[in-house]
Amino acid sequence: MTFVTDSILSWVTFLPLAGALLILLFARKDNIARLIAMGVAVADFILSLHLWFHFDNANAADQFTELVPWLANGKINYSMGLDGVSLLLVLLTTFLGPLVILSTWSAIKHRVAESMAFLLFLQTAMIGTFLARDMLLFYVFWEAMLIPMYFIIGIWGGERRIYAAVKLFIYTMAGSLLMLVAILYMYSQAGTMSLDGFMSLNIPAEQQMWLFLAFTLAFAIKVPLFPFHTWLPDAHVEAPTAGSVILAGILLKMGTYGMLRFSIPLFPSAAIEFGPWFAVLAVIGIIYGALVAMVQKDVKKLVAYSSVSHLGFVVLGLFSLTAAGVAGGIYQMLAHGLSTGALFLLVGVIYERRHTRLISDFGGLAHQMPVYASIFLFVTLASIGLPGLCGFAGEFMVLFGSFSSTLLPHAKLLVILSSTGVILGAIYMLWMYQRVFLGKLANEANQSLKDMSLREIFVLLPILIFIIVLGILPGPFLEKIEPSIDRLLTPVLELRQETPADHHITIPHTNESHDSQTEMEIH
Amino acid sequence: MFVNITIPNWSDFAHFVPEAIMFGAFLLALMGDVIVRGRKPVVPFLITLLGALAALYYSFASPPVGDAGVLGSLVMIDSFAGFFRIVFSFVAVVTILFSWSSEEIMGSTREHKGEYYALIALMTGGMMVMAEARDLVMLFMSMELVALTSYVMAGYMRNSLRSTEASLKYVIFGAVSSGIMLFGMSLLFGMTGQMTFVGIRDALVANPVNDLSMLVVLIMIMAGFGYKIAMVPFHFWCPDVYEGAPTPVSAFFSVGPKAAGFALMIRFFFTVFQPIVDTIDWPLMIAILSAVTMTYGNIVAVKQTNVKRLLAYSSIAHVGYLLMGFLLLTPGGLQAILFYLLVYAVMNLGAFMFVSAINNSIKSEELSDYAGLGFRAPWASVMMFIFLVSLVGLPPAAGFIGKLYLFTEVLREGWYWLAIVGVLNSVISLFYYMQIARAMYFEKVPEDAPAVKIAPLHYVTMALLAVPTLILGLYWSEFKAIADQAIAGF
Amino acid sequence: MMEVGLTHYLTVGAILFTLGIFAVMTRRNTVALLMGVELILNGANVNFVAFSRFVETSIDGHIMAAFVIVLAAAEAAVALAIVLAMFRNFGTVHVDSVDSLKQ
Repeated sequence: MTFVTDSILSWVTFLPLAGALLILLFARKDNIARLIAMGVAVADFILSLHLWFHFDNANAADQFTELVPWLANGKINYSMGLDGVSLLLVLLTTFLGPLVILSTWSAIKHRVAESMAFLLFLQTAMIGTFLARDMLLFYVFWEAMLIPMYFIIGIWGGERRIYAAVKLFIYTMAGSLLMLVAILYMYSQAGTMSLDGFMSLNIPAEQQMWLFLAFTLAFAIKVPLFPFHTWLPDAHVEAPTAGSVILAGILLKMGTYGMLRFSIPLFPSAAIEFGPWFAVLAVIGIIYGALVAMVQKDVKKLVAYSSVSHLGFVVLGLFSLTAAGVAGGIYQMLAHGLSTGALFLLVGVIYERRHTRLISDFGGLAHQMPVYASIFLFVTLASIGLPGLCGFAGEFMVLFGSFSSTLLPHAKLLVILSSTGVILGAIYMLWMYQRVFLGKLANEANQSLKDMSLREIFVLLPILIFIIVLGILPGPFLEKIEPSIDRLLTPVLELRQETPADHHITIPHTNESHDSQTEMEIH
Repeated sequence: MFVNITIPNWSDFAHFVPEAIMFGAFLLALMGDVIVRGRKPVVPFLITLLGALAALYYSFASPPVGDAGVLGSLVMIDSFAGFFRIVFSFVAVVTILFSWSSEEIMGSTREHKGEYYALIALMTGGMMVMAEARDLVMLFMSMELVALTSYVMAGYMRNSLRSTEASLKYVIFGAVSSGIMLFGMSLLFGMTGQMTFVGIRDALVANPVNDLSMLVVLIMIMAGFGYKIAMVPFHFWCPDVYEGAPTPVSAFFSVGPKAAGFALMIRFFFTVFQPIVDTIDWPLMIAILSAVTMTYGNIVAVKQTNVKRLLAYSSIAHVGYLLMGFLLLTPGGLQAILFYLLVYAVMNLGAFMFVSAINNSIKSEELSDYAGLGFRAPWASVMMFIFLVSLVGLPPAAGFIGKLYLFTEVLREGWYWLAIVGVLNSVISLFYYMQIARAMYFEKVPEDAPAVKIAPLHYVTMALLAVPTLILGLYWSEFKAIADQAIAGF
Repeated sequence: MMEVGLTHYLTVGAILFTLGIFAVMTRRNTVALLMGVELILNGANVNFVAFSRFVETSIDGHIMAAFVIVLAAAEAAVALAIVLAMFRNFGTVHVDSVDSLKQ
């Protein structure tokens, strides 16, 4: 097995791609394609567990690194690495992978083999994006994500799928091409495409501004940050369930991941100068997303707008430039991936039965589908950040970190404003729940609805478990990312002549306390 | 009046093997067509195919070493010429192979089909010479050889209205622009008294001319080059000719003569560059031409409903991208152009071939008839999708790498606005290329859609192009090295 | 008696060139249009020969002119063949009436 463990990152990344090719070339029968896809996704998850168990928590640098000279005499390399931040996001990806594939079992009925291949291909691109440590490699994976997503929405999507697919493609492409220009500019300065090479460039503050804006705009479109979010509701509503889950669960995290990995450490002075503007946009997004979600008639659109709101917290946490805020942001990314992913799966369950998602078509479903209703309630509570479930810790840490941020002007005002987002979140989610599940079962068409099948429960069960685990045991997760966060924030803090310790959070080990509320303290 | 003229040696012809092969193939194919009469022109086909393959093999196996000025001062056989020999003979091989199964070429409406293959061989030889010319006489002669051949090829389907119109427009625009260029060349000759590029440069350095006359001469000469590469504002012929000509011919035109035009332009301007820069603001002029060309091509392409015409406009846009490497005529920029030409040849040929293969079967090039093609002809459509992705410039296809080098060069030279314009143009181009992908994959297969049958030979040729499009996107060092070396010889 | 010098030849060349361009831009008859092209080419020829005689005493310009004359003949042959095909297909040699391709 050493040949696997020696280049474990490549295996984790490219195993799905191999599966996709296998399906396309040899296994075009529907059920065989499904089984192979499922097998590959599960195998990929098992492989990625190796990363979790062999990860050195104390080491802030990239681990499991691989470096193969690729092109241009070593200026461009196939360079992969994994730190704590990447670790959690890769695990989230491989964890959701099999569940997504399982969820398509009955939802996708035509061109099954192609859909499986695209899902696996997408998984390769996503994992690669998290692991690439060479800017060209990163960009290749980054753009490669677009193509399968375009097809997934365009072929298996809803009524206005073509419009949604083209909009998604053009929006994200426009952003990422500007980033490409910035990358190429830095390449011409640094003479190498490696991330380390970019890090060691001493860029004058004025140039940092342009480069930072080019990078961050690309990421902001992906997040999506207000006012670049207009592609998201369209994409979510038109995408098939599997596409929505991946979009919400992982793809949106690419944006925030990029901000953390590239925008902040590469351009510290610009991050300090312009970060607050993005934080303000994030707060606007939090409130705007929540308000718009409240008036939605379509459940899926409601969940889509709630993503805008939730990811606003992540961006706010990142640009607080404090360790607690960033850690909270990452935690919120995980939590949002799980809870929103689960919500989209649940919406998919009812859509498959009734072919409508309008809130007004439902009501009183709890009588007819008790299991469904209770799972939905559980996920709803997780999404609005009930303490003890996954949504709480992240949002709390973000608000806490931002509140104490010295680099964010008017931090306290921003925190107060964004806390209203938490309250609004509770209102629109619970109100939606009430209208869909409580009351009388008025609509005739809903009276013969069947409750969730065993397969559907099985898809959601792992997510539910992790919603609880993340809610009560943040320690093991946070201790993995903590050194990496310090490392990523070092350039910013150095610029402010502060040692990382000033903003250090300590996470007591799990044996001391399991209560998330008391787990953080600021020295 | 006694002039010292170097009489060429017979030994000089040892430098001309690929050209000799192509011209020989042309003559043999013509004779073969007359002697062996059959339903299909097997003999000319085989002769030209083998000739092109031999030329390709020879160009790879024994690239020119050093700089050999051959035939007096008329041509220069260097690694730059060697690079283009490879490109042109490859393009010829693919086009010849592809045409064999093409209805437009091999349909029953035409006699003497062998001439077609002979003309391809002739044109390929002519393009190779274009890349070697270093004298005004050879420049003009080689350009005209290629032009005259292409007029005939554009009108190859002589009973078709569209084909005739295409060749008519081609010949009129071509004749006028080459006439203007010749007049400009006569003035340049008058200013310097020299015919060779090097002589012109030295004379201009020794006796600088005033700005106005330089500008006039430059504009006149650019008319000829601009016509050849379809640069705005000399592009008017391009959409009509590409749409009207038989599709394999359009494919050949969109890469062959265009690359040859660039080759000639690079050699000419690279040699006489210094005196030109001293008198006029060359980089600004090229930057504006480049921005206008790509923007025009892309914006007009968006409205097109005929795929062939769409690709014609997109090829204008690609000329705009290529011109970005021409800004300061730095080795880096020229290397980027050469590499992009290689990539462009592969991907654009592929896209046109797909159009032709589909046209063979459903007799339409309209976007609306492409509905659901992704499921009616899955393998061909996948390859088309690869070409489209590459034309947009998305990783992991070759077009991305090509643009990468061009943009890097523009940024290194500090032309930020041009890079931004280029990037915005890529987004526009994404829109219309994805229209094709959209029709192929997202639209339902119509009930009465005719079955799509694609000839085996078409699959083979398209695969011959699709595989390099992917490989060049992931591993291009070797090929970039060939392009780099071509410029290093200057 | 005035001596005929370079300027006179160049003037003739320029006049021929201008007439050619004028013909190309105004005439809509394809044959007349091609005649305009011939004028342009011959304008350049006059220049080449004149420069060759007066500026740099060499035969380079003469050689060029000879090549261009041959080439003009070849071009006329090809172009007239195409005009013939046009006449057969469209029944006219008028450029504006050829519009089977969309604009």
